[in-house]
Amino acid sequence: MRVRSFFVAAAASGAVVLIGWELGAQHATPMIASSSPADPSTQAASPASPSPSAVPPPTASASAGGTAPASSGGTFAGAVVQHPYGTVQVTVTIAGGKLTDAKVQLTESDGHSQRIDDYAAPILRSSVLSAQSAKVNSVSGATYTSDAYLQSLQSALDKAHFAG
Amino acid sequence: MCGRIIPVTLDQLRLPREEITRTARARVSEGYKRRMRHADFLVTLSWVSVAIVIALFLAAGTFDFKTLTSATTSAGMLAGLIGTDLVLVMLVLAARVPVIDRTFGHDKAMQAHRRIAKPAFYLILAHAVLLLIGYGMSTGLNPIAEIPAMWTLSSWMPFAFIGLGLLVVVVVTSFVAVRRKFPYEVWHVIHLLSYFAVLAAAPHQLSVSLLFTNGSPQRVYWFALYVIVALLLATYRFAVPVVRSIRHGLRVSRIVDVAPGVVSIEMSGRRLRELQATGGQFFVWRFWSGKTWWHAHPLSLSAAPTASTVRITVRVLGAGSAALAKVRPGTGVSIEGPYGIFTPMARTSPRAVFVAAGIGITPIRAMLEHSDLAPGEATVIVRHTGVQDPYLWQELRELCASKGAPVFLIDGPRPRTTPSWQSADAVDRGYTIASYVPKLFGADLYVCGPGPWADLVIKDALQHGVKQHQVHVERFDW
Repeated sequence: MRVRSFFVAAAASGAVVLIGWELGAQHATPMIASSSPADPSTQAASPASPSPSAVPPPTASASAGGTAPASSGGTFAGAVVQHPYGTVQVTVTIAGGKLTDAKVQLTESDGHSQRIDDYAAPILRSSVLSAQSAKVNSVSGATYTSDAYLQSLQSALDKAHFAG
Repeated sequence: MCGRIIPVTLDQLRLPREEITRTARARVSEGYKRRMRHADFLVTLSWVSVAIVIALFLAAGTFDFKTLTSATTSAGMLAGLIGTDLVLVMLVLAARVPVIDRTFGHDKAMQAHRRIAKPAFYLILAHAVLLLIGYGMSTGLNPIAEIPAMWTLSSWMPFAFIGLGLLVVVVVTSFVAVRRKFPYEVWHVIHLLSYFAVLAAAPHQLSVSLLFTNGSPQRVYWFALYVIVALLLATYRFAVPVVRSIRHGLRVSRIVDVAPGVVSIEMSGRRLRELQATGGQFFVWRFWSGKTWWHAHPLSLSAAPTASTVRITVRVLGAGSAALAKVRPGTGVSIEGPYGIFTPMARTSPRAVFVAAGIGITPIRAMLEHSDLAPGEATVIVRHTGVQDPYLWQELRELCASKGAPVFLIDGPRPRTTPSWQSADAVDRGYTIASYVPKLFGADLYVCGPGPWADLVIKDALQHGVKQHQVHVERFDW
């Protein structure tokens, strides 16, 4: 290949990739904010290292349950949390001051995500039940689902004024 | 008689060099510059196609490289996208698109096609493997156990697996060692499976991948890409040859024995000027007789085409071409072409040196006939080892005389010790290509002959002032 061809092609390609990268960065920021636990402060500080076990702070939509019932018991539905591949809503059952069950409603945008959810949901359920909180590790390979799950769960626990 | 070097038209040697006019120089360099601009554009276009694919992937923002699983999956997707884009570039390179042929020549385009083949294949294999691993990790399965799950992921996934299988077959049969085991026709039919491989694999890209949700720019771009490539193939690979074959209605008119084992096939047809074929170009010929229809022959014109006739000269070597000598007048001929830039169009300089051996004389003869070379601009060198005259020798001599081009015949056996494109005798006398062409510096070199011989000519010429971009070569062993 001739030198001139090489430089023209390399420059044009580099520019195109950069534009793509820029567009992707713009695109990705709001998506992470709405779906992952990274809150604005941590995002500004170190966007590259969101720790997977971080406690998801309740978002505005998650803390919708204003008038809270007593934390003695009952069933509490968490917020519907959206992530790039679907939605997650966790409903918790509190009995005798303990988190006794967590049911989940999942929607997925495609077959592959459905398989991921089917795989991840039972693991998340058992780990939150044994930890009695949303402070558990996310499931490897199902980061989006895990983050959304734990965020929805936290909002349900907040509604129940449950502090495990 | 061994080793004679005859300047056949000695009187022509003293032609005034001022014949190489300013306008000739300007015309040649303008053509060359335009060709190089096209080359820059086409090279950039193919690189940018890869860049756009990466950019669209990044722009979608659905990827991430945070965890091992998502990194594997993202890398797998990207590999598949780049690999597919390269396969599409390969298809375009092989589609006989006129602008590509006129810029690079069919042989260079096919060289690029072969060079891209390996990275494209490995990227697509990596796509399959990485996604099996990545998807497997996200659902707790090992990559092998993931295969059936993958298969049922979408109704298009089985087709994707079939496409991958076809691609493996196409690539494996194209490895040099394997390819030699098949006749060309068998290999070629297998190679055409690559169209089906792409066709089978394309839908899973648009249906499974989240990048390609309805209405996304990614989907629009890739859909357009597939449509454009399909149209280029349908037009230039299929429609144009069929239309030309019917429109020009070529038939064999005469078969002339040139030498033992060498025949000239003359054909007549209608409105052949419309083909705009140039001496030095080749067509892929198919003779529609019982024994020859299945075999297509890429052969150069051996005379400048006229409005109603074309001629090729064939050395009947292989099983397919042996039958050619027995083709009857009246046999219909279908054509693909004209292809190649082994023509005056490729000139970079007003001066040119033509070096031919054996049947390689044919395109050089046709090109000389077609060219508007002024006297003194061209030198012709013919290398020959046989007892008889070189093929078409009489014609070539007359042509060179009328064009004012000195022609040298180097005959006699090749040297036993050092490989050389010349005869033993000429090597003993210390001749190089510059001995025949005193003003070799800055001239174009046209070489046509067997590959290894042509390489020796080129090596000699490069050592004596010919620039790499001025070398135009047609090997007839490809």
